[in-house]
Parts: sequence; structure tokens; C-alpha cells
Amino acid sequence: MEFYYYVNIFETKGLEYVLLICFLVLFILLVRYLSTPEKKE
Amino acid sequence: MNNTTAITSDFKRFIRFFLQELKPKGKWLTPFNIISIPVILLGTIILFIRFTQGLGSVTNLSQEFPWGFWIGFDVVIGVAFAGGAYIITFVVYVMKVEKYHSIVRVTVLNGLLAYIFYAGALVLDLGRPWHIINPIIGNSFGYNSVLFLVAWHFLLYMLAEFVEFSPVIAQWAQLEKVRKFVSALTLGAVIFGITLSMLHQSGLGALFLMAKPKIHPLWYSEFIPILFFVSSIFAGLSMIIFEGTISHKVFRNLIGEKSQHSFEEIILGMAKGAAISMFVYYFFKALIFIHEQQWELINDFWGYWYLVEVIGFVLIPCFMFAYAVKTRNTTIIRLAAIITLIGIILNRLNISVIAFKWDAVNKYYPSWEEIIVTLMVVFTEIWVFRWIVTRMPVFSKQH
Amino acid sequence: MDRRNFLKTTAAVCAATLPFKNIKAEETEMKTEFSGVLVDTTRCIGCRSCEVACSKEHDLYVPDIKNDSALESLRTTSEKQWTVVNRFETEKGEVFVKRQCLHCWQPACTAACLTNAMYKTKEGPVTWDGDKCMGCRYCMVSCPFDIPKFEYNEWNPKIQKCNMCFERLQQGKKPACVEACPTDALMFGSKRQLMEVARHRVYNYPDKYVHKIYGEHDVGGTGWLYLSAIPFEQIGFSTDLGTTPYPEYTKEFLFSVPLVLFSIPAFLLGLNLLTNRKNELSEKQGWKNE
Repeated sequence: MEFYYYVNIFETKGLEYVLLICFLVLFILLVRYLSTPEKKE
Repeated sequence: MNNTTAITSDFKRFIRFFLQELKPKGKWLTPFNIISIPVILLGTIILFIRFTQGLGSVTNLSQEFPWGFWIGFDVVIGVAFAGGAYIITFVVYVMKVEKYHSIVRVTVLNGLLAYIFYAGALVLDLGRPWHIINPIIGNSFGYNSVLFLVAWHFLLYMLAEFVEFSPVIAQWAQLEKVRKFVSALTLGAVIFGITLSMLHQSGLGALFLMAKPKIHPLWYSEFIPILFFVSSIFAGLSMIIFEGTISHKVFRNLIGEKSQHSFEEIILGMAKGAAISMFVYYFFKALIFIHEQQWELINDFWGYWYLVEVIGFVLIPCFMFAYAVKTRNTTIIRLAAIITLIGIILNRLNISVIAFKWDAVNKYYPSWEEIIVTLMVVFTEIWVFRWIVTRMPVFSKQH
Repeated sequence: MDRRNFLKTTAAVCAATLPFKNIKAEETEMKTEFSGVLVDTTRCIGCRSCEVACSKEHDLYVPDIKNDSALESLRTTSEKQWTVVNRFETEKGEVFVKRQCLHCWQPACTAACLTNAMYKTKEGPVTWDGDKCMGCRYCMVSCPFDIPKFEYNEWNPKIQKCNMCFERLQQGKKPACVEACPTDALMFGSKRQLMEVARHRVYNYPDKYVHKIYGEHDVGGTGWLYLSAIPFEQIGFSTDLGTTPYPEYTKEFLFSVPLVLFSIPAFLLGLNLLTNRKNELSEKQGWKNE
């Protein structure tokens, strides 16, 4: 049976942007972590 | 007149040289030979049965599972593992990072052979392989097909890789003029090859776009092509680490002490690349997970299986790589590379076989014949690889 | 503008418009409507005459419909039979459903085929050409209804699927199964006509039929249409396949291919030249020397 109702295909956009911000913060941390190797003894 | 005689004499010399080089070198009774020779012989017999009695005689393929282990493992995974060649050529020839120059030749050779053997394994799976030339010679171009693109890209990429590798062959055959000519083509071949790689790595994923109702929603996404491309980056890097480690053990006499040492540096650099690309890939997966609102799917067997793949075989090796780079620990890097490779195998098999028709009553699993033929393909590739590296200047850096 | 020039230009303009007009004329001629079949499952009595007629027409395995009691189990079409009738026990009694290729308007199998062996004819049937097929089975992976079947036990295997009796349509005849049907459960015609008949039946008997015509929009519209008295999920149909034609799922990827081939080589070459320049500068001015 076909029903007609409104489907919001952008429902999760807000969450996606939150994820993006988390990613950017974590990514900067990762790159900083990788680019400063521990000093050799 | 003089010219032609010179060419024919050159050619004759080359043939004589080639025949002489065909003879085996070194010991015969190595553990690898003892395992691989029976497998290759058995595989040949299985293939004979397959081509005379049909695919059903040796495989577990069915009307529900038209693609099995030969496509899912040999082609889809083999090509992902061969991704190292386009990454290294990008870094060395386009970005001109000299540090990685010493592994260019062996990586390109690995890529070329992987394409010849693993993409070539596609022929074994074709029902009517004698028609394979149809989409190539143009009497029936199916432009509308993703597989058409993938087939053409395989072909053109093999050509590009061959051009990239041909200076080594020319050097081995002592054809100086040819070497100069093909060396001049390298940059063009590299740029062309990288572009083709981007397209067919993602194209292998795009093959499954039309199988939308058949693949479990956790694995199906309209972004499969992008996921396949990004994962081929760390698959390729992990494969270089894995293969390099083995090569440096087995062919120790061919590789100098100095490059042994520089290989450690190379591994560290590649681990860094793998960590970053896996981190990005993980967030791609998370983005798709949120966008498709898949949290309701996570609380059953398939959900847990998905988490095993994404966390256990992407996020954890990603952190292992990062930690190992920080502490300069190459053992952890090698371990992480192996876990990553298993993760790629899981991911590709999930899409092509395991989560494909996940609710089917009669699930597909490979028959022993299919596994033997797969092993045969891998072993034959290693034989050819060994034959080439013991004869041509693959490990030595040369300008 | 002198007379001569004027004539020349007129001639050129005429010549330029002529082929254009011809193409237009051809286009209208090409507008052959897709044919299809309307299956009214409320009329089907499960006699399986269609199975026999189909197999005889295409030299396939002819089932022994009196004795093989095949209705006891759910069957799918196979490499031996292009069409099968299944029986379902439902709240409205026994329902018989004939299954075969639905001949989609935009078929996934023809979009998947890299040799054009699977071909959507302008008359509507989707046909298979053994001289082109290389047996990759990508059509089987793509078909949302799992219709193409492969002969796994042949050295020279064929893909087997209903071709809507394309040879018979060429001769102006109806498909064999339609002709064999004793109860008018099958009706052959253009999709436009069939939709009118189907809607007419639903409007006239709103209590007898569910108010959906399977194949009207499913997977972008199919050539074969189904009417039913009970919801289609209960008689073996997938109703969650969506209304997007399956080839559209690969459209973006296929379109991005030339884009990538246009842009990435130039981008890579640019990067390469840029690094050259940087190295030169750093050598000259001793930039990154520490």
C-alpha cells in the first residue's frame, strides 16, 4: 500500500555536523600526536 | 639495412639471454616449493574440470550467490591489496619524496603482478570467457555498465604499471636505448595510473550499488565507492609493510644492509599514512551510520559483526599504528598491518559474500576447490615474483 | 549581401536543418510503446498451462503438471523453467501467483551488462544474446528479483530468463503463456492499456482487490503488472524495493568517471610542477636548510 507522508531526509544533519566537529578536533590531536615523536633515550 | 641486422642480432641475443635466464636458480627443495608445487598441480586439475564440466562442478556458487570466493577474494581483495603501487608512485614521482624511492620498483612489480593474477582470476570465473574480448574490441560496448569501466581500467592500468616497470626489464635485458625511452614515459604513466586507480578501486565498490536490496543495510551505502577508495589507501600501505617485511627476510642477500636500515624509516612513514587514512575512514563509516540512522540495526548478530569489523579491525589498528609511530616500534606496526589486512578481507567479503543475502536459507561458503584455486593463484604469483626479483634489478635503487 | 551569397547561405541552412528534421521524424517512429502483461492473481486457478506452454515454446524442461505436485513447495524460476506458478494459503483462500521476468522499464540487468548481451528491446522485452555474453553474472547480482539464472553445470553456460516470447511478438503473436491461459488471468497489451484495465478493475471492485498495482511504480515501473486480493508481501513479492529505477543507483558514479579523468591528471601534473618549483627555490635561497 502506498502512503503519502512527509519524510525529512535531512533529519540527521545536525548530528552529522556535531560528528564533523568532533572529527576535526580529534584529527588535529592525532596529527599533533604523530608529528612529535618521543625523544630517543 | 644495417639497422635491421643490428635489431635482429639484438633480438636474437635477447632470446638467448631470456632462455638462459629461464633456468631455475638456487635450491629446489625449499619449504615454499614443497607446499606450492602440489597446490599448483592440484589447482590445474581443478581448473581443467571447471572448464569442461562447468562452474558448478567445482564451486559452491548458486543462483542466489552468483559471485563467490573467486570474485570476492581474488579480484576484490587482491586489487585492494595492490593499491600500494599507486600510493608509492604518487609520493615518489608526483610529490618527489626521495625517502621512498628504494621501494618503488618492488611495489610497482607487486602491483603489476597482483593485477595480472588477481584481476586475471576473473577469467576463471567467467562462464563464457572466450567472449571476454567483446567489450574491448568494440563490437558490443556496454558503456552503461560499471563492470565495463572496471574491466577497461584494469586493462589500461596494467599497461601503465608495465610502462612504469619496463625500465627495470630494459636494464635487465641490457637494452640501453629502450630503457631511456621508457624511463621518459614514467611520469605520464604514473599520473595516468593514479587516476585509473582512483576510479577502479572505487569502481569495485560501485559494482555493488545495484545490489541494494541484497546487501545488509549496515554495509550497503551509496558511498561504497568512496569507502572502497579510502580503504584501498591503508590496505595498500599495510600490504607494502607486510610484503616488505617478508621480502627483507627472504631476499636478505639481494638487499643491502643500508636499505635494511632505511626500510625501518619507510615503515614508520607508511604507518603514519595508514593511521591518518584509517582515522578518516572510521569517521566516514560513522557519518554514514548516523546519516542512515542505523542504530536500530546494531543490536543483533549483524550489528555486532559490523562493530567487530569497524572497531576491531579499523579503529584499533589505527591506534596501534599511531602508538607505534610515536614509540618507533616496528613490531607493533607489522602487527597492526596484519590486523588491517584481515580487516580489509573482512570488509570486502562482508559486502560480496557474507552480508550479501544475509538472510538467505542456504548461505554460500567456498568449496575446498575454490580455496585451492585461490591458493594456486597466489602461489603462482609468488613464483613469478621470485623469478623476477632474483634476475632483474628490482631491489637496487638505480637512476 | 549579394544574390549568390544569399543562395549559398540558404542552401547551407537548409542542409543543416535537413538531417535534424530526419532525426526528429525517426524519433517519432521509434516511439514504439512497451508491451507488457497484466496478471490478475484473483483469476488464476493454478492449472500451470502457462508453464507447459513456455517450456514447449523455448525447448526447456516441460513439467509433468498432473503428477509432480510442484505446487506443494515454493519454487523460483530456474535455468530449466522461465516461469513457475506458486500457491499461497492466505486469509482469502488459495492464491496462485505466476512468476517470471518482470521486464522492467529501466532494467538493472541491462545496465549491468558490459557486453549489451542483456538488451532492452524497444518493444519491451528484455532479451539475452549468447554471442555477446561473457558469463560474468553481474546481471544476476544486480537484478532485484533474482530472475536471470545461470547454467552452472555446462561448459558453455547460458543465462536463462523469460524473454516475453520476443520471437512471437515479432510475428504479431502474443506470448505463449498468455495464449495458453484458460481463465484470462493474463492479458497482453501496452502498459498504458494495461494500466487502464487494471485501474478499472480496482475501482469497480474496491473490496475484491488491494489498492495497489504491483509494477506500476516499483523499481521505476515494470512491463508486467500484478493485481491481487491480498497484500503483495503475503504472496511472495518484495514491496520494499523502492520506486527508483535501479540503473540510477550507478548514475552518479558513472558520471563522475569522466570528471575524475578530466581533473585528476591535471591536478597531479600541477602538484608535480609545484614541487619542482619549490625544490628550485629552496636550493637557490637555502630556504629549508637548517
